[in-house]
Amino acid sequence: MASPYEQPARGIRKSSAIVNTVAAPAVGTAVTLYQRTTGGQNPRTVILRKLMAWNNTGADAILEIGQDGIDGVVAFANIIPPVLVLNGFDGEWHEDELPEVEIGNDLTMECNQDGVQVQVEVEEIE
Amino acid sequence: MADLYPYKPGEIEAIVLPDQIVGVWVNKVYKFYKVVYIEPIPRCDAIEFDFGALAAGGVTAITQLNLLEMPDREFGQFRGFVIDDITANLWQGRSDGRYKLNNRNGRLTRATDLRDPCGHTTEFYVHEDDFAFMQVLNPTDYALTQTRVAFYGFRYVLEVAVDASGRQYVWSPGKPENYPPNVWTRVPATAHL
Repeated sequence: MASPYEQPARGIRKSSAIVNTVAAPAVGTAVTLYQRTTGGQNPRTVILRKLMAWNNTGADAILEIGQDGIDGVVAFANIIPPVLVLNGFDGEWHEDELPEVEIGNDLTMECNQDGVQVQVEVEEIE
Repeated sequence: MADLYPYKPGEIEAIVLPDQIVGVWVNKVYKFYKVVYIEPIPRCDAIEFDFGALAAGGVTAITQLNLLEMPDREFGQFRGFVIDDITANLWQGRSDGRYKLNNRNGRLTRATDLRDPCGHTTEFYVHEDDFAFMQVLNPTDYALTQTRVAFYGFRYVLEVAVDASGRQYVWSPGKPENYPPNVWTRVPATAHL
């Protein structure tokens, strides 16, 4: 059943691979979660629509989704507040729970635990 | 009288009825025909092109859409859409780009049918040996294993249109001998203008 928050599609639905977190919260150690499409006439922008995470690391994990933080030059910046993924649980956030943040960048993530498995669905706008 | 015309918005319809006259625009000349038969071409896997695996940022050669070839005395009306995350440029004549502006050509992407679900802005016409060609680009940052474009539409079987005395209709720009029919539908089967 469609959520009352659901909007008409603005862009192209894509998903990331399943990416493992790396417990290294310092600048320059974020992990690329979704690489945006840049090869068309103009680079596309990206909206996070769905976030899934599975934590079997032995400890609760604080997962941060944002942009940059890969190259050590531009600091990681959250695009949504950190979420808690309980040890032994999966966490799922759907588009009616996620703010419509549109970025002109790859999605990256940071986490305080190694090995949380994360996958996102995004809408790419061209 | 049916309200039929090229590029009509909405679910695809034939652009004329049998026995009506069309002027097929080919190489700066209108060729006049009477439509004798119309047949639908459903969207299906048989009328689907896969341009193959394509590296990130890769571009295919300009490739003839051989499945859309039409026999003599026929033309096809097609709408198309991309299935994979690719961009697809259309040519009619290997060097005449369609969806043409002064500085750039439009093309099919996965965003096209978001704004035009019925596909009427993608519509084009293929007449006899005036083949259509396509070039596909992978805009993503990863390799694609398939690059598919699908088409559907109608085929029209034709006979040369003549007046009651058997005189053949002709029309090309600026020619004094032009003799078009009174009522006819323009079918832009090539990009020239």
